[in-house]
Amino acid sequence: MPRRKPHPRRPQRPKDRTPDGRGRETFRCVGCRLDVPLAAPGTAHRNHCPHCLTSLHLDRRIPGDRRASCHGRMAAVGVTVRGDGEWLIIHQCQACGELSANRIAGDDNALVLLRMAVRPLSGDRLRLGALLAL
Amino acid sequence: MSDNRSITRTETFDCVRCGLTVTAFAPDGGRRNHCPSCLHSRHVLDRVEGGPSQCGSRMAPISIAVLRSGEWMIIHRCARCGELTSNPISGDDNQLILMRMAVRPLAQPPFPLESFGDL
Repeated sequence: MPRRKPHPRRPQRPKDRTPDGRGRETFRCVGCRLDVPLAAPGTAHRNHCPHCLTSLHLDRRIPGDRRASCHGRMAAVGVTVRGDGEWLIIHQCQACGELSANRIAGDDNALVLLRMAVRPLSGDRLRLGALLAL
Repeated sequence: MSDNRSITRTETFDCVRCGLTVTAFAPDGGRRNHCPSCLHSRHVLDRVEGGPSQCGSRMAPISIAVLRSGEWMIIHRCARCGELTSNPISGDDNQLILMRMAVRPLAQPPFPLESFGDL
């Protein structure tokens, strides 16, 4: 089950602000054009669309620094799991090839997540027969 | 020329994790950057800035990614600075560790998988 981190390693950065000084409430997904609210169950840092899992290349080296000049579309290419059981989505920028990892949110599309997780098991690249020899 | 090529073909490196001496070229001719036995790599290239990295630390394999182009990549994460890199899978990579990485998310699903049986 997704949990919050007990000890954040670095101080949280303030969220992006609109010119009138208030925080933004939604962003529009570059993949499917869905208007996504920034408030998400289970995470304080939503950076991808819950419907198609597409993200935007804004951060450079530190999450939240907003220093990337690329602004390319980042497609979800894989899933990994952290030691405490949290799933992370691996995004790859379609413009520059940069990679990033982000925790899944509570409302992310479970079917798309599961499809990404089982994709390495499909096809014959992984030799399942090697396991039968054990 | 042919002498030169045979010299470079016998180039090796030591794995930073398991200490295995590995040939620098994979069976399919490409240059490899991770150990085929434990799949660990070393952080020598800086992906964000480009060029060589100052880190030089061990990189652990965390995931298999299937790209749009159909390429299969291993995603490595640096144990020290957390940077991610992707490298193509070579033919003699350890199938058991690849399989373990592929099934690990499914062993700890964040949602019940039973509901997918109805689809």
